[in-house]
Amino acid sequence: MTTAKVSSSKQRRARKAFRANGAYHAAGIAICLFFLAPFVITFLASFRHGTEARLPPLPPWPTNGLSIDSYLSLDTFGAGIWQHTINSLLVSLATVVLTVAVSLLAGYGFSRYRFPLKNVLFVLIIATLMIPFQSILTPLFIILAKLGLNNSLLGLTLVYVTLQLPFSVFMMRNAFDAVPKEIEEAARIDGARDLRLLVRVLLPLVLPGIATVAIFAFLNAWNEFLAALILLSSNEKYTLPVLMMAVRAGRLGAVNWGAVQAGVAVMTVPCLIVFLLLQRYYMRGLMAGAVK
Amino acid sequence: MNKNMTDTGVVLTDIRKSFGNLEVIHGIDLKIAEGSFVVFVGPSGCGKSTLLRMIAGLEEVTDGEIEIKGRDVTDLDPSDRGIAMVFQSYALYPHMSVRDNLAFGLKMAHTPVAEIDARVAAASSILKIDHLLDRRPGQLSGGQRQRVAIGRAIVRKPDVFLFDEPLSNLDAELRVSMRIEIARLHRELGNTMIYVTHDQTEAMTLADMIVVLRDGRVEQTGSPRDVYEDPANAFVAGFIGSPRMNLLNAEWAGDGYVLAGGQRIASALSASLLKPGERVTFGIRPEHLSVSTTATAESLSAKVDFYEYLGGTQFLYCQLDDGQAVVAEHRSSIAIKDNEVVQLTCDPGNRRFFDSSGLRLR
Repeated sequence: MTTAKVSSSKQRRARKAFRANGAYHAAGIAICLFFLAPFVITFLASFRHGTEARLPPLPPWPTNGLSIDSYLSLDTFGAGIWQHTINSLLVSLATVVLTVAVSLLAGYGFSRYRFPLKNVLFVLIIATLMIPFQSILTPLFIILAKLGLNNSLLGLTLVYVTLQLPFSVFMMRNAFDAVPKEIEEAARIDGARDLRLLVRVLLPLVLPGIATVAIFAFLNAWNEFLAALILLSSNEKYTLPVLMMAVRAGRLGAVNWGAVQAGVAVMTVPCLIVFLLLQRYYMRGLMAGAVK
Repeated sequence: MNKNMTDTGVVLTDIRKSFGNLEVIHGIDLKIAEGSFVVFVGPSGCGKSTLLRMIAGLEEVTDGEIEIKGRDVTDLDPSDRGIAMVFQSYALYPHMSVRDNLAFGLKMAHTPVAEIDARVAAASSILKIDHLLDRRPGQLSGGQRQRVAIGRAIVRKPDVFLFDEPLSNLDAELRVSMRIEIARLHRELGNTMIYVTHDQTEAMTLADMIVVLRDGRVEQTGSPRDVYEDPANAFVAGFIGSPRMNLLNAEWAGDGYVLAGGQRIASALSASLLKPGERVTFGIRPEHLSVSTTATAESLSAKVDFYEYLGGTQFLYCQLDDGQAVVAEHRSSIAIKDNEVVQLTCDPGNRRFFDSSGLRLR
């Protein structure tokens, strides 16, 4: 074979690889654009001038320069955007903390201990996923009222935790099931018992499960609308989704689209932050090297 | 360290284990001398791992008593028993560095930091893992991980080391070198070690005492030589040794003779025990059969079905005249081919006889 032939076949292979790679990346970029477009459009639109915001949304970027009018007008609704953001953050973070704490212990118990009716209980917990929560809102409302927790963020948090737990317990049980029993036994021989065993040895190993539970709990609590609308009655307690409805309702039928876009942008940012903070635990193969 | 082999290190008294109504360990009594290397061996499901885990405290004892160095530990927590365990799957903590893996048990026991550092350094130099201390288990090879697992046991300075099939995840070559290393470790440390395996080579090479288990019962205990040369019953005879001992169906012919494979074979058994016509088992190891082409008074005639050549030795898989299978080892430069008829003879001292229930006849 001559060197010319070798180099031409090399070039052919390189061209083929380039075309294949090119198609792969083009498809990837197209799909990314498709998913990113709504966020980008909303975000850009939120920086339009007050009057421009009412116009049809094409082109989707500000044409008369940037302005934070929409954000300022968003702040005039309800008790001010900061108050409602803090409400939402309080409820969401408390939901995350409670959900993780309870599902961690419950998942550990279901995975590692033997007790009577274990599987029945577990199925019962999972079965509650099948009940649409809208159908139990009325009883929930009455129960909370009896407990003196209606129109309180704590009551709302408890409802969110309750709704979030079946899925979370299921996730955490699976996470604990994936941890080899030998690691726990080795730790027991090393003298780690009960809570220390859970915190020092097992917790780092189920971190991906905890991250998943935390992300879901945060997003669901942050975005939840119906329960918040029904259970909260005073203006200053509203969470962001309820505020957004108030914003969208507008005055005399005129919707302040600029404020709506700004509100959506404000609501999206914490979700992105939480996801970006925790997503690496999805990816990390923490179990590598534990056994075998 | 205490090298006095007459002291008892571990004593098991009538140990029983049931899962629900199913009893899996049926009353095991065992005295393990301080500083000895004991190997539990048996087919899978014989309860050897369960027994080890009961000694470790990972499995509850249904009935009986476990004593370590004169202390009743039956109901103690694993960490209070003075034991350390090496698992088949290593069971390292994947989120900790090798150093933290080694130190974890000591930290849990609130050992002073200087002491921890000293012990970790000592253990890692014994096992030659000093240069790996800052790595995570995920960055180590199988052999290195097993060393770390053994190191984690060493730093605890236990009275008894427990090994649960520690080498079965390693490849053949590594297994041999780790085996030698464990033997060296035992000589250096002098602790009592209890080792579970289904690998006979490991059992024979490492053990001071072999405990052969079957279905939750001890079939025989003794030195590797005892167990190999003087098996207590047909199960032990067939289990220890590779290839296994030939166990031929035979019949007591009276007058000190046994009928096997159509041949009268002399035995040193006292005739009073048996009635003529009673069924017995005639056991003979492949390496004790000598192969020739000329028939003698007590030779068994056999046809070679197929053979394995292992270099220097040949295993012949043969059939006797009455259809029973026999394996013979042939150490000779003269090759024997398939379908050849050979004459197998054996020295009277190597013949073993078992009664119909499998018990050794002497």
